[in-house]
Amino acid sequence: MLLLSLKLAWRETAHSWSRFVFFFLCIALGVGAIVAVDLFATNVEEAILGDARGLLGGDIELSWRRTMSQNGQDVLDSLSERQITVSHITEFAAMAAVESDQPHNQRTKAASQLVELKALDSLYPLYGSLLVEPAESIEQLLAALPTGCQRTPCFGAIAQESLLIRLNVSLGSELRIGQTNFIITGILGKEPDKIATAFSLGPRIMISREALDATELVKTGSRIHERYRLRLLPSENLERWLGELRGRLSREGVQISSYRDAQPRLRRFLDQLTLYLGLIGMTILWVGGIGVACTIQGFITQKTPIIATLKTLGADSSQIIYIYLTQSLLLGSIGSLAGGMLGTGLHQGLPLLLQGIIPETFSVDPTLTPILRGIAVGTLATLAFSLWPLLAIRSVSPSLIFRQDIDRATIHTKSLSWVVTLMTILKNWWYDRVQRLTSLLIGGSLLGLAVWQAHSLTLGLFFAGAFIVGILALLGGTSVLFWILRHIHFPQLLLLRHSTNNLQRPGNFTKAMTLAIGIGVMLMTTLITVQQTLLNLIEDQIPSRAPSFFFIDIQPDQQAPFRQIVEQHIPDSDYDLVPVVRSRLTAIDEQTINPEDHKGKRNGWYFTREYVVTTFQSLPKDNLLTQGQWWDNTNLQNPANDSPALNHVPLVSVEEDAAKHLGLSLGSTLTLNIQGVPFTTKVSSLRSVDWGSFSMNFFMIVEPGSLDGAPITYIATARVPKTVQIPLQQAIVAAMPNVTAIHVGDVLDNIAKIFRQLAMGIQSLAVLCLITGAVVMIAAISINRYRRVHELAILKALGGSRGLLLFSLGTEFGLIGGFAGLVGLGLGCLLSWSILYFFFDLSWAMNISVLLTGLLMTIVLTLVTGLLGTYRLLGFSPLSVLRQE
Amino acid sequence: MQLSAGNHAVQILHDISFEVSAKQVLAIVGPSGSGKSTLLGLLAGLDHPTHGSIHIHGTNITTLAESAMAHFRRQHIGYVFQAFHLIPTLTAIENVALPLELQGLGTGEERAKSLLQAVGLEQRFHHYPIQLSGGEQQRVALARAFISQPPLLLADEPTGNLDSTTGNLVIDLLWQLHEQHDSTLILVTHDRTLAARAQRILTLQDGAIVHDTALPS
Repeated sequence: MLLLSLKLAWRETAHSWSRFVFFFLCIALGVGAIVAVDLFATNVEEAILGDARGLLGGDIELSWRRTMSQNGQDVLDSLSERQITVSHITEFAAMAAVESDQPHNQRTKAASQLVELKALDSLYPLYGSLLVEPAESIEQLLAALPTGCQRTPCFGAIAQESLLIRLNVSLGSELRIGQTNFIITGILGKEPDKIATAFSLGPRIMISREALDATELVKTGSRIHERYRLRLLPSENLERWLGELRGRLSREGVQISSYRDAQPRLRRFLDQLTLYLGLIGMTILWVGGIGVACTIQGFITQKTPIIATLKTLGADSSQIIYIYLTQSLLLGSIGSLAGGMLGTGLHQGLPLLLQGIIPETFSVDPTLTPILRGIAVGTLATLAFSLWPLLAIRSVSPSLIFRQDIDRATIHTKSLSWVVTLMTILKNWWYDRVQRLTSLLIGGSLLGLAVWQAHSLTLGLFFAGAFIVGILALLGGTSVLFWILRHIHFPQLLLLRHSTNNLQRPGNFTKAMTLAIGIGVMLMTTLITVQQTLLNLIEDQIPSRAPSFFFIDIQPDQQAPFRQIVEQHIPDSDYDLVPVVRSRLTAIDEQTINPEDHKGKRNGWYFTREYVVTTFQSLPKDNLLTQGQWWDNTNLQNPANDSPALNHVPLVSVEEDAAKHLGLSLGSTLTLNIQGVPFTTKVSSLRSVDWGSFSMNFFMIVEPGSLDGAPITYIATARVPKTVQIPLQQAIVAAMPNVTAIHVGDVLDNIAKIFRQLAMGIQSLAVLCLITGAVVMIAAISINRYRRVHELAILKALGGSRGLLLFSLGTEFGLIGGFAGLVGLGLGCLLSWSILYFFFDLSWAMNISVLLTGLLMTIVLTLVTGLLGTYRLLGFSPLSVLRQE
Repeated sequence: MQLSAGNHAVQILHDISFEVSAKQVLAIVGPSGSGKSTLLGLLAGLDHPTHGSIHIHGTNITTLAESAMAHFRRQHIGYVFQAFHLIPTLTAIENVALPLELQGLGTGEERAKSLLQAVGLEQRFHHYPIQLSGGEQQRVALARAFISQPPLLLADEPTGNLDSTTGNLVIDLLWQLHEQHDSTLILVTHDRTLAARAQRILTLQDGAIVHDTALPS
């Protein structure tokens, strides 16, 4: 039987392969998208795991957010004695200014720029290689330069090209960072340990450790990141070393990671990204599945005489279903194979679209497993989408062979109300064991596919459920539009009536076409609306009272000069200056916190992050007390409290989300490590904070006086008119080179840029979904090609001109586009509203221009697609067509 | 037998009752629309009568479910159509062997070859239907009908689409195969000469038997 089925399937396919081109395409596009995303995910995994040592920069990394303690230094010294290579890197944000003779207040162009500074030792990089132009040694490029500079000390520096562009300088130009001058000696090509440029404050600049000391930028309380990378001997046991280091450095607030941790945050981000891209790929495959179902249904209708013949020869329905299922699966696997090849091609393009989001070491190498998986997915989807239309074989009576007309007439029952029809369908389904089993098989296959793609039962169920709801909603919406259309009469326009009747004719696949296009429109609308809303939030919705600058690392003795400069530039002095200390959480209610226990976990970030603690006398603006009480002013001024009891525990007010995740309540005690000194506080209140205000907001605020004696630095925010922004930045950098100025607009631009890049990658796949919808439409049109040729021939014979016929066809396809557009846009609005409301807590606003453009483009798409599929039919001579009858 | 077309019920056959003994040749004649083909379809189990029963080889085929009927048909009934109904994507030999393959009895190639030789198509084994003339196609259909050696052979206007010379050739072959296989042959025809070769003629008019004539052998 299998041999017979394969023989029939192969012959049928070989005899009329052109009829199945769209079948192949429907499957190939979906499989192509899935394979491309899977290949991409595999490469990402390889880039992270395969080059894990390069990405981490060593076998083990010890990272501090402050300068090393003596104990830490002792541990590191002991490592060198045990033949462990230790490379020391320091990273922090700093200001780089162009060295010029012109006074800063006379400059009009930005001559200073926030940079991400990285100080290297001679061992860097322990793994991987640094690409620099010109290709000289790092020591040579970063060496001290005794001559050729306007000021000494002077060193060489390697800069990212974007810094040169932003400051309008070139190789050989002179910059000033802190107390030192630098000549740009090299341009940075590839940085092996740059995990991802998902977010950076500014361009990278690399200097030597010697030069770092000369800048005098590292001071107590400075916001720095010290990284010590360890290279173990091949014979050493990584786990044993990790255990030893974690034990010896347990009280140092150090983060210890091994290359095997493989960048959990980056990995999670890329996993999420590929998961969503994969689900869009699955949507494309399912939209293609609609085309498969239509093609099979049309094919079975055309094959009715052969099916009847086979039945007369003694074949039962299951044998014939088996024969045609074999053919579908054969076609599906050929389509999937083509999809595998298409996916390999698309895969080359994905990294270009996601540039800047993926690791720099990423390489595009096709691997076999994702391709094989894609072929399996495509074949399984073919099975799921072919089975139902194949069931129609059961109702083909063998007597059709000699009595076609009467029997066909019995198929069309008189029109019943939809409730009765639905009830009949449900009743038939319930009493038909084969239908029940097939539904289970189809449902199971689709669910299996969704779960396989989503790597999670819950998400797979959610995806399949959402798809079904989407389809039902699209079908419901289309039915309503049909109902409206049926109740509008076009008495004067015969051709218009002809096209609207054509839409509602049984077997015309109008709903399938609307569905296939509508899903693409829904996806696009959702993506564009969500993207627009988020971009608007980033770009336009910054509150008018948001500051223009954040200034960090202001030393206590720089308070007065800072105030003076700012007041000179801003007449109404709209700025805030607050003291801060950097700390890490070490215990809650005297229970020691081990950051390792929370690493990589959801919201584990609250336990492992650095907390910037400040003090305010009164509740800051944009803060709302939700529990407890703010420290009472009068109490503080009360002489009785001037010298608090020795056992007085300072009070702290904690942001409510942080409190929730840390498990804090009123009265809990928190122990923070401030530059190696333990500092215990008691929670006296919880606050809600409006983070969107872009003001200085803090997770933890302690009562005034409690930070006395701690290594305080100051941070400031200033709201500055645009015209004064550059002069103010120049003045501060010139007077206080250690102070870092962060321009809020630049940071938001940076976020928006990355967001756009991400959105572009996702949207490209959504466009593929629309293309698949168009292919499904052409497939559905081509199924009825012969009927259309016949109709057009009659209309032509009766005197219909080509223009009139075009008008009729155009109206039909335009209406399909209109329906798909209206329903797809409506559902897209609903979906985007849900995403914005439930996930982002944002309000949704109707963007009329986006919706109108969407509707218009959908109509144009269906018009062009439909006319492409039928235009050739207009060329047939009516006589030649009718003579064949 | 009643059929419905749209909302109208059409009475096709009524008060039909007859028996055919084994190996007999029965011709059913009558004007167009008298119900000849419908009667043949009922005998083949392709349709279900609205009333009454049909017994073939002791089996009441009207009570059989679809798959049981298909199984019964495979083993007991051969059918020759006016329009041949060969599968266009299969070669002559594959078309002939198809009933055996459907029964799971292998490819049946040797038997198909000998039957095709018997109908004079030894040069046409690997031709597709489209490459064969009408007469050749009907000869392939004859070979196909006999491959399972069915005890009952039904032929619906077997010469209806053929010219008289070719028609005669096909009929000679049909008789020859019928005699070789000892099968019962029931054929529907407009052709009086052809009907005259049968042992018995059943004349239908407006869905009822009006004459049942036994002919001298």
